[in-house]
Amino acid sequence: MTWHVDAEDLRAYSQGELSPPALWSADTHLVDCAECRAVLAEVGESVDAAWERLDAELDAPRPGLFERLLVRAGVADHTARLLAATPVLRRSWLGAVVAVLVMSVLAAQSTGSVTLFLALAPLLPLAGVALSYGPVLDPTYEMAVVSPMHGFRLLMIRTVAVLAAGLALGGLATLALPGLGLRALAWLLPALALTSAGLALSARLGPVLAPALVGGAWVGLLVVADAVQAGSTLLPFTAAGQGVAAAVAALAGGLLFLVRDRFDRFQGSAA
Amino acid sequence: MTPTVSASGLSLRYGGTHALDDVSLRLTPGVTGLIGPNGAGKTTLLRVLATALPADGGAFTVLGQDPATSAGRQEVRRALGYLPQTPGFHPDFTPFEFVDYVAILKELTDRGARHREVRRLLEQVDLGEVRGKRIKKLSGGMRQRVALAAALIGDPGFLVLDEPTVGLDPEQRMRFRELIAQAGEGRTVLLSTHQTEDVAMLCHRVLVMAGGRIRFDGTPAELTARAAGRVWSSTERDPGAKAGWRTGTGSFRNVGLPPVGADLLEPTLEDGYLLTLDEAEVSA
Repeated sequence: MTWHVDAEDLRAYSQGELSPPALWSADTHLVDCAECRAVLAEVGESVDAAWERLDAELDAPRPGLFERLLVRAGVADHTARLLAATPVLRRSWLGAVVAVLVMSVLAAQSTGSVTLFLALAPLLPLAGVALSYGPVLDPTYEMAVVSPMHGFRLLMIRTVAVLAAGLALGGLATLALPGLGLRALAWLLPALALTSAGLALSARLGPVLAPALVGGAWVGLLVVADAVQAGSTLLPFTAAGQGVAAAVAALAGGLLFLVRDRFDRFQGSAA
Repeated sequence: MTPTVSASGLSLRYGGTHALDDVSLRLTPGVTGLIGPNGAGKTTLLRVLATALPADGGAFTVLGQDPATSAGRQEVRRALGYLPQTPGFHPDFTPFEFVDYVAILKELTDRGARHREVRRLLEQVDLGEVRGKRIKKLSGGMRQRVALAAALIGDPGFLVLDEPTVGLDPEQRMRFRELIAQAGEGRTVLLSTHQTEDVAMLCHRVLVMAGGRIRFDGTPAELTARAAGRVWSSTERDPGAKAGWRTGTGSFRNVGLPPVGADLLEPTLEDGYLLTLDEAEVSA
């Protein structure tokens, strides 16, 4: 053996307090290292209990790449598993988001107009969050609803993760539109406004109709703004439009908090 | 005996339909069967008792906790195991990962303790050998056992099983019945099923549901006894029978009001169930 588990780590391991990824290293190492097993037996619990813990850890399959990345990024292992079960945080969804963004960026570069990009970018987080929770796409929804973890908490954990992924990808796409300055970020506040409005309304209208209506309203607003356009920038992407988007995001966020208990009950067809 | 679940006057309407109509019941430890035709309201009742759906009217408690309040609902959920009619799985999860995921939803955040519990439950349902295999590659019976293991996390005092034997072949069904019987030792299990065999083999008590109402509440023997003297054999289907079908011997088994001199047969649980449904239709 070229290395051994640190004594402090072994003590934490024996108390069940060692967290991944250090825990994974210790598990793997202890199987092959009699010396560390002997130290483990001395520092805390009985050898039998240590073996039982080790057995249980070895039975646990190695988490997937996404989950391992989250843990290495500092996310608690149980939160990482909740996120790994989020339907839209999967390659197919993320691939679709990237495809849409790439197409809109290419369109912006070829036409010189960023309107398509600014119009589409806010819809992606809205759709992502809508698809991350609910009976339609979450296969474990019914089991999740009757679990002690409050539905709103699970929704928020997933929303933050999906928003972070969506905003990061949108941000990367923005970097591909140089020369626009802050104008290229004009999709950000509308994205937050649409997402929070979609969530707040889904408490009453359900996880399909609410985001569909909000998305439709956004498209309608852009069509009207285009028809009455006075300057070179559509109204929602002007300073005044951004202010309204911020206000809508704040109001919808407050409403969402007020109706949070509705996410603790089944939202699908009841029969 | 103090009931685990006590419900009175539960009602729930969808549009103009009474999915639940003044349902009252008391559940005690052991396996209670809930049988009824499609659309009888079984799944709705299970979802209400599992705190997934709020009832329009009535009240109930589980282990003394009132799920009408947010705090009470959390307590009920801590004592609840629930296997839905069509348990869904994340396609890329293994049985270990899935049960671990549900354990996290059930607030087991300590990794070591959680993994030991997951391991114990997978061994209990005989899936220890396939714990690392993708769920999508398992048979239907194995998947149901994964879902049962998830429902058993935290040693729940009240276990709700919604048609767990549907779609299983006879051998898998027998294996699953053994697990339900095992799970029913020392806890209260409410088992919704289409199979009267499930009730006959597993349940100390049976509820028959139709049109959103409980039409019978008693022991399987009492349900069977309802058909005493009302089952007879004939060479042709008796037009006066409430129900009649050809048996393996070629003769017809009829249920209803037998004609004078009929060749009476020993009733079964199924006969009692059919007559109860027929009476429910007449009274509706």
